[in-house]
Formats: sequence, C-alpha cells, structure tokens
Amino acid sequence: MSLETLSRRSSTSLSAAIGAIPLILFVGLLIYFGLNAPNFLTVTNLKLVLVQSLPVMLICIGLSAVVMAGGDDVVSGGIDLSIPATTVLCAGIMASLLSAESTGLFVASIVALLAALLVGGMNALLVTRLSMTPLLTTLAMFVAVVGVNNVVTQRKRINVDHDAINAIREPFFFGIPLGLILVALITLIAFHFLHRTKWGLNLQAAGGSRDAASISGLNVNRLFGQSFTVASVMGFVCSYFVLARGAGSSPGVEDNLMVEMVLATFLGAAFSPRRVVTMWGAALGAVLVVAISVGFKSMGVNVFWTGLIKGSLIVVVVATAALSQRLN
Amino acid sequence: MNAQVLHKRSFIANVLIRFGFVLVIFALFVFFAAWNPLFLQAENLTNIVEASAILMILALAMTLIIATGGIDLSIGIALDFGAAAAVVAMKSYDMAWPGAVCAGIIAGSVVGIFNAILVVGLRISPFLATLSTFFIGSSVQRIFTNGGGPISHRRMPDEFRQIAQGDTLGIPNEVLVALLLILVYLIVLEWSVWGRQVHAMGMQRSAAIVAGIKTNRNLIIAFIFASATCAVAGLIAAANIRMFTPLSGFSYLLDAIAATFIGAALHPRGRPNVLGTVVAVLFLTMVANGLNLMGINFNTKDALSGIILISALALAVAQRKASEAMLLGSRRR
Repeated sequence: MSLETLSRRSSTSLSAAIGAIPLILFVGLLIYFGLNAPNFLTVTNLKLVLVQSLPVMLICIGLSAVVMAGGDDVVSGGIDLSIPATTVLCAGIMASLLSAESTGLFVASIVALLAALLVGGMNALLVTRLSMTPLLTTLAMFVAVVGVNNVVTQRKRINVDHDAINAIREPFFFGIPLGLILVALITLIAFHFLHRTKWGLNLQAAGGSRDAASISGLNVNRLFGQSFTVASVMGFVCSYFVLARGAGSSPGVEDNLMVEMVLATFLGAAFSPRRVVTMWGAALGAVLVVAISVGFKSMGVNVFWTGLIKGSLIVVVVATAALSQRLN
Repeated sequence: MNAQVLHKRSFIANVLIRFGFVLVIFALFVFFAAWNPLFLQAENLTNIVEASAILMILALAMTLIIATGGIDLSIGIALDFGAAAAVVAMKSYDMAWPGAVCAGIIAGSVVGIFNAILVVGLRISPFLATLSTFFIGSSVQRIFTNGGGPISHRRMPDEFRQIAQGDTLGIPNEVLVALLLILVYLIVLEWSVWGRQVHAMGMQRSAAIVAGIKTNRNLIIAFIFASATCAVAGLIAAANIRMFTPLSGFSYLLDAIAATFIGAALHPRGRPNVLGTVVAVLFLTMVANGLNLMGINFNTKDALSGIILISALALAVAQRKASEAMLLGSRRR
C-alpha cells in the first residue's frame, strides 16, 4: 500500500469522524436530558416527542421533495418556505368551515385541498415559467398566504371538535396514536415514490445537475413544478395534524413550523452519507429538533435561550458537514 | 416567428416591455389618489419619503450582500444591536451623542463580523449562517432585556433626537442620511473597482477567483459594511421613538429582500443594483401608505400587501424576460 492511499484513507476516516459529530452531539444531548430531567427518557415522554414532531415531519417530506428537484443550494436551488403557510391556511379554512356547522369534513377538506393546490401551482408557475428564485418566490408567497389566512380567520382562534380529527391524537393500536401510524405510512409511501420509482430518480437527477438532466432528455421544469405541488399537498395533509394537536386553528403557528422545518431538513442533510437532503434525514431531523426543544423545556431552561441554542446547533451541524466534505 | 410580425407589434410592445413596471407604479399612484385625495397632498408625499428611510438603508445593505451572491437574514439583528448600543451608551454611560453613534455602529458591525466568521471562516452557506445569526441575535436580545421589554430613554440628548426628528434646509434629517448612504452605495457598488469585483463574485464565484479577485476578503468587508449600514437605520429608529424595542428589525427583512429582487428585475441584466433598489423601496412604501389611507380592515390590508408584493415581483421578472427575448429577437434579425 502506497503512502498516498494510506494518507487518503486516514483523511477519509477523519472526515467520517468529523461528519459523525452532529449525531454524537444530539445523542449526547438526549442522554444528558435523560440524566438531568428524570421524566425525559420515559416511554410517555418519548411518545409525546414523536407525536409533537409529526406536523414538522410531514412538511419536511414536502420540503425535501422540492430540495431534491431543485438542488440543495439554498439561494439558487430548490426551497419552499411557503409550506407552513399552506398548512395554516388549510387549517384555517377547515376550522372556519367546520365551525359553521353546515359543512362537513369532506367539503371542508376539498376546499382546503384546492387552496393548497392553488398555492403550489402558483409557486410552480412563478418558479418554472418566470424563472423566479424559489427562495424569494416562496418567502413572498408565505407572507401573502399568511395574510389571506388572517382574513379567513380574522386572526382569531377557532376551536375544532370533530371526531375524525380528534382520532388522530387518540390511541389506536396498543396505545399507539393513530397519527403516528398514519405518518409512518405516509413516510413509507413518500420514500417509495421519491427514492424507489423512476419519477423519484428523475426528480433527484434534476436537482443533482440541472444541465446534465435536461441534456439527457428530462423535462426539468416539469419535475420541479411537480415537486412544488407535492409540497403543497404535504402542507395540506399536515393541517389535519396541526388541527388535532391544537384542537383547532390558532394564529401564529406558522413561524415556529417554518423554523423547525428548515432546521430539520438541513440538519437531516448532515446525517446522510453524501451530505444531501434526503427524506429519512429530514424525518430524523424533525424528531431530533423537537426532542431537543422538549428536552430543554423539561430541564427548565429559560425560553429566552432557545434561539441561541438552535442557532448554535445549526452552526455546529452545518460547519462540521462542510469541514468533513472538504477533508473527504 | 418571422421578422414582420415582430416588427408590427413592436411599438406598443416596446413601450409595455420597457416601462411596464413604471406604468404599474403610475397606475397604482392614480388609483390611491382617486380613492383618497389626501394621498396626493404634499405632506403625505413627504411622509412616504420619510417613512421609507429605514427600509431604504436596510435594502441598500441587502443589495450589497445579494450582489456578492449571498443573502443576509440578520439585517434586522444589526439594526437592533445598533439601536440598543446607542440607547444604552447614552442612558447608562452618559455618553455624548457622537459616542452613542459610534457605539451603535460598532455594535452593528459585530453582527457582520460574526457573519463573516461563519461564512468565510467556517464555510457555512450565507443563508444558514445568517439564519443562525438571526436566532442567536434574537436570543441575546431577549436575555439582555429580560424577555424583550423595551429600553426607553426619554431624556435623550437633543442632538441625537435630531437624527430622526430634525430638518436641515427643510429636508428631514433621516432622508438626508438615506440620500447620503445611497450616494455612498452608488460609489462603492456601482462606480468603484471594488464594486465590479463584488458583482463578478456574485455572477460566478469560481471565475472571479481565477481572475485573481480576493473573494474572501471582499466578502468579509461586504458583511461588515452592510451590518454597519443597518446599525445606522437602528440609530434612526432609536432616535425616532426615543427607545430601543427588541426584535423590531425583523419586520423589515422581507421588504428589504423583495426590494432588492424587484430592483434587480428592473436592471437590464438582472443584477441587484442601487438605483433599482431605491425605486423598489419607494414603490413598497407608497403601497403601504396608500393601503393605509384606504382605511380598510387591518387583516385585509396585510393580505393585499402580500399579494401586491408577489405580483410586483412576478411582473418585474416577466418584464425583464420579455425584454431579454426582444433583444435576442432583434439580434437574430
């Protein structure tokens, strides 16, 4: 074995070691919570963490589809910041229609789905036809959609007490909440479509290298447009879970959802071997992000510090990912 | 398509494509004026210009960072830090107003230095780096103010208050500051060699490196310069209401990004540029003012301004694409 391969091998293992830092950090934090907050590592609490993370997981799946199709450069590649806004709009529409008594869940769902598809379609149209930057388009869309939702709900809390929506948070099977089972199913279906079908591979090819994909005959714009539609549908699905979690629609949910969605999806990239956004990474990221916030809360850490902790976590995770990629 | 058709529709199409956005600004202007005669009064028009000063300054900083090829989500934090340091310097340390101004600008620059360390030192992408700066900066303000209560300083030195509330030769001082900064940014970003280097970096980083441009050094300077600029906006905000309100800079973020991109769309080659940003900021402030004067429900106003924002962006981009296509068409002929 020559010296050169030896040194390359050692640099690869160093890079792998550095790449593992985020995961070690997260596991270390969880153990720390377990030791210091006695209730943290109980089955009840871990179930709570999982249930809390369901809405974030769903929109993370949507966001990862867009990032896969558009490339993972945040500014020029694919990103959809409007998903949380779509979620609250759908939740707002359903809540106000359901509270009107005369409309059933089915009609309310249809109206909300149409609204979601309208948002997704507008995003797709603006990004692919006008080649507007996705970051800007979807950020502006976020503001517009939240504004529309404020007109729909008049910025008031609307209670929802519907059996089908309540069922999401009720135990269904050996004490496992129905929502958990549903999200597991949705995640598997999404995984199949994004990672195991021709369409999914085409989508990833489009994001991996736009030029190469279009030279080999893929309709890159159509794929990218479709990913925005997928994202808006995930936003719609998420709205049931938001309604179930909060027993209704309340104003201001969108900000936290957006922060956790972005954090989880890009954290997830640090867990994938090639440092790209994957669906599993995003789902794992969602659970970890929620676990960390619940953990700090159960330790009684002052809420003023959460921003500082979240910001530092992004820095550590993203910086180690960049460093390990450079060494590789 | 043959040349004949292109030629026939050319006059009206030309006008629409060249001046589409300006026409829309004008149409909205007429609409607001027709709805409420107060809109056209000189006092209200001065109000619009005066109200645009803070956004103008922040948008200039954003234009610089976007021209380097990055983005800065922490401009609001630099504004808050600038305002906080100035108020605290006067209130707790009895500093004279020039000291307070310096303290504010230095505190704002700290945000830029932090961004530069993350982006240049740790190679984090600007979006995620400045997002974490935003989180950390917001948290620092909460901790510092014990939860986000404002720090007021009613007996602020008169000279400091003049920054926002005084006039010089009949022009409000904050407008003068904004004008001065527009001039500085024109020189720095559009007329100087350094500005050309920045644009080159933003268009193609690798080509700029090959051409010998010191991209890292320029990025560091850009981040610090931009955050110092935002701190100036913070000084105006603090002088205006005689207090520091934590987390108040965030509300300008989206408008500053939007103004930069609308301005870029107005540029023939689609680059972020100072004059485009100035036009866009005035447009956004005019819309906000006009909607206020229409006296509609608060929530509806919010929704409308969001929809107008996204339509303006789409229109500006569409206009640029059409004019590019026309240029290509005429060249082919």
